[in-house]
Amino acid sequence: MISSINPAMKAVTIMVPGLLLSFTFDVFTPLVYFIFILIITFTLADIRPMTWLKIFSPFVLVALTSAWMATLYANQTFSYGNVLFTIWGVDITEGSLMTGISLGLRSLCFVALSLLFALTTDSTKFMLSLMQQFKLPPKITFGILAGYRFLPVFRSEYQILKQAHRIRGADREPGIKGRIKQFRRYAIPLLANGLRKSERVAIAMESKGFTGDKERTHYHQMSIQTKDWLFFILFAGMLAITIAVSYSLGYLNIFGRQF
Amino acid sequence: MKKEPFNRILDVNNFSFSYENPEAPLLNNLLFSLYENETVLLIGASGSGKSSLALCLNGLYPEAVEGVSSGNIYYRGKNIREFQKGELNQRIGIVFQDPESQFCMIKVEDELAFTLENRKIPSLEMPQRISQVLHDVGMEGVEKKKIHELSGGQKQKVALASVLLLEPELLILDEPTANLDPLSRVEFIDLLNSLRQKRDLALLIIEHEPDDWLDMTDRVLALGSSGKLIAQGPANTIFTKHAARLKKEGVFFPKCYMPENKNFGVRAPLPSSEEIISVKDLTFKRKRHTVLQNVNLNIHCGEFVSIAGENGAGKSTLLQLMAGLLPYKKGKILFFDRELQQWNQKELRKQIGYVFQNPEHQFITDTVIDELTYGMKLNGYTEEKQEDAATRLMKQFHLMHHRFSNPFSLSGGQKRRLSVAAMLDQTPDILFFDEPTFGQDASTTGELMHIVRQLQAEYDVTIVFVTHDMDIVDSTDRAIVLHDRNIIFNGNPEDLWEREDVINQARLRLPYRIRGIQQEGVIHDLIH
Repeated sequence: MISSINPAMKAVTIMVPGLLLSFTFDVFTPLVYFIFILIITFTLADIRPMTWLKIFSPFVLVALTSAWMATLYANQTFSYGNVLFTIWGVDITEGSLMTGISLGLRSLCFVALSLLFALTTDSTKFMLSLMQQFKLPPKITFGILAGYRFLPVFRSEYQILKQAHRIRGADREPGIKGRIKQFRRYAIPLLANGLRKSERVAIAMESKGFTGDKERTHYHQMSIQTKDWLFFILFAGMLAITIAVSYSLGYLNIFGRQF
Repeated sequence: MKKEPFNRILDVNNFSFSYENPEAPLLNNLLFSLYENETVLLIGASGSGKSSLALCLNGLYPEAVEGVSSGNIYYRGKNIREFQKGELNQRIGIVFQDPESQFCMIKVEDELAFTLENRKIPSLEMPQRISQVLHDVGMEGVEKKKIHELSGGQKQKVALASVLLLEPELLILDEPTANLDPLSRVEFIDLLNSLRQKRDLALLIIEHEPDDWLDMTDRVLALGSSGKLIAQGPANTIFTKHAARLKKEGVFFPKCYMPENKNFGVRAPLPSSEEIISVKDLTFKRKRHTVLQNVNLNIHCGEFVSIAGENGAGKSTLLQLMAGLLPYKKGKILFFDRELQQWNQKELRKQIGYVFQNPEHQFITDTVIDELTYGMKLNGYTEEKQEDAATRLMKQFHLMHHRFSNPFSLSGGQKRRLSVAAMLDQTPDILFFDEPTFGQDASTTGELMHIVRQLQAEYDVTIVFVTHDMDIVDSTDRAIVLHDRNIIFNGNPEDLWEREDVINQARLRLPYRIRGIQQEGVIHDLIH
């Protein structure tokens, strides 16, 4: 369902709450929005929960760590309220704890939003819609698309290089100097091959009549339709509602200023 | 056979091209024409500038590489410099050698649409044109497939389809089958032959191995090593009248024009019964995909073994496993009666050599001499001993003049020789080769086979080759054919050629020696 939303529009849609949420320092706002994203992810998007969990779970750890760090090192503005407990001589106040939890939730929101985009978007179509909707020059979009094809090639080349060097006993050299040498040995053939291949692709593209001309027809006509606007309104609207509710309940905190 | 009258498509008029030094041009004063609907074979030694010529003809060179050119090329009487960017590319299409690096999209339909979009064909017409061209190249129904999941032969057909969508008048094929397995190669050539008869299409085919193309060729152009056109004309005169000249220039010669059917020299197998490597019940999985299933194999000391099979059959994996480059869990590999994984790495590397498909992958240092002495330094040889050994290797492999050259700056054949030489600093007991002749020209291949034979005869080195070249398989002591995760043939090459079932299953082909006998009548007619 969400995979049929125009990719460029989808990118904008998730960027708006992503950016705006980073200014809210209370717990309530990002929490409610996070729940909203989860509901969307598991109802409207065709994502397998296991796949999602696999990618998402490491970020939970990252979020926890950053939340804890923020709690410990909260700026004076945020370390309001009573001291809850003391750890290694650091006083943890109500405010610093809230700030920490809020930061954790915000990062989770951001991860969930990014996953919602990444797991429902075809990379080719994303590039095509950037070209058709946002007028990105074809030279750039097709350049990036051609680059996608290189990633697996690069990985297998690296594997072969490692083996080739092992055969020569090249990993026997000890010390940091040896390691730097080894990096250089890998980097040069990898780059040389990469350059050669990209040159070949560029020539192949040009020989199929590609000139970078913006006037071209499109096999996949990407367009922005009503449902794309609805999708945008859903996310932006929900953000507005969350902030409004948060404000009316007195939770809203923007950059340390309580409203 | 051809439609009259012959109208010229391209006129090349005293054309020269060079990358850097205009004093020693890569293409030197070329003068020739190409006509409507004719098929021309362009041959020449490697490094003679055949591929550069292809790109000059469709106007991409010299701009794309900041090269220098002089003289003119006319397309239908109009100088190609006067064409708008992209205009000429649509009349002259090129299919390139490497199936991996001529696509820019992930799915087949998108790649084909890319050509149509460049031509500004209305979107509504595209699906119909795409399915039509896929039908023409015999690849119906692959629109939604991802290109990287296709086989090499299928990729080349898609590449051909995308170029055909340009509706070109002249199609240039730059060694289109060099990276394909034997059967895919034959299929691709047959496909072109039938396309050429259905469409108004002139073909310029650049090839190392002209044999399979000769039937459809009207004319042959031969480029010499100095970048000059040394001969042009019908195949039967080129390869007879100009034979001496072509041979001198190192041009690949069709086997049917070689008087004594030169083989790589068949050698009687050594009667050694000692096993150097023995593979027992080996199963290998990559992620969840089983690459090899219960493989059993013995290799004897001093033997020359070839491993054949279609792409993806697990040939390279088996080779890497036997060389101790990949860890395995199920089964056993014994190297001199001792489990491979129990060997000390340093000891193992002294006894096992491995030559990779791309020689560049093996280069570690900045000069040829360092490259040769690298292993010796690690093993603490004295300077004197290093010098001696390196000099001996440079002499043997004709690299004396390149002592201080950077390995990456050598020619293709020199790189190949250096990559083998670097393995011989201390004579290994067994030497593995992973498709060492892939994309190499005749003289490099011949040279390599000569060296390998020498190693086997003089130092009793065991040789294992993974190869697609059936003529090489034919000259080895034993052929092993992999198919569908297992060995389906293991025995004398002579017996393999009798097994039609194996040959078809593994997408192999008979070697020239045997095909030649079957075709003798035809060749007789060609020469006389």
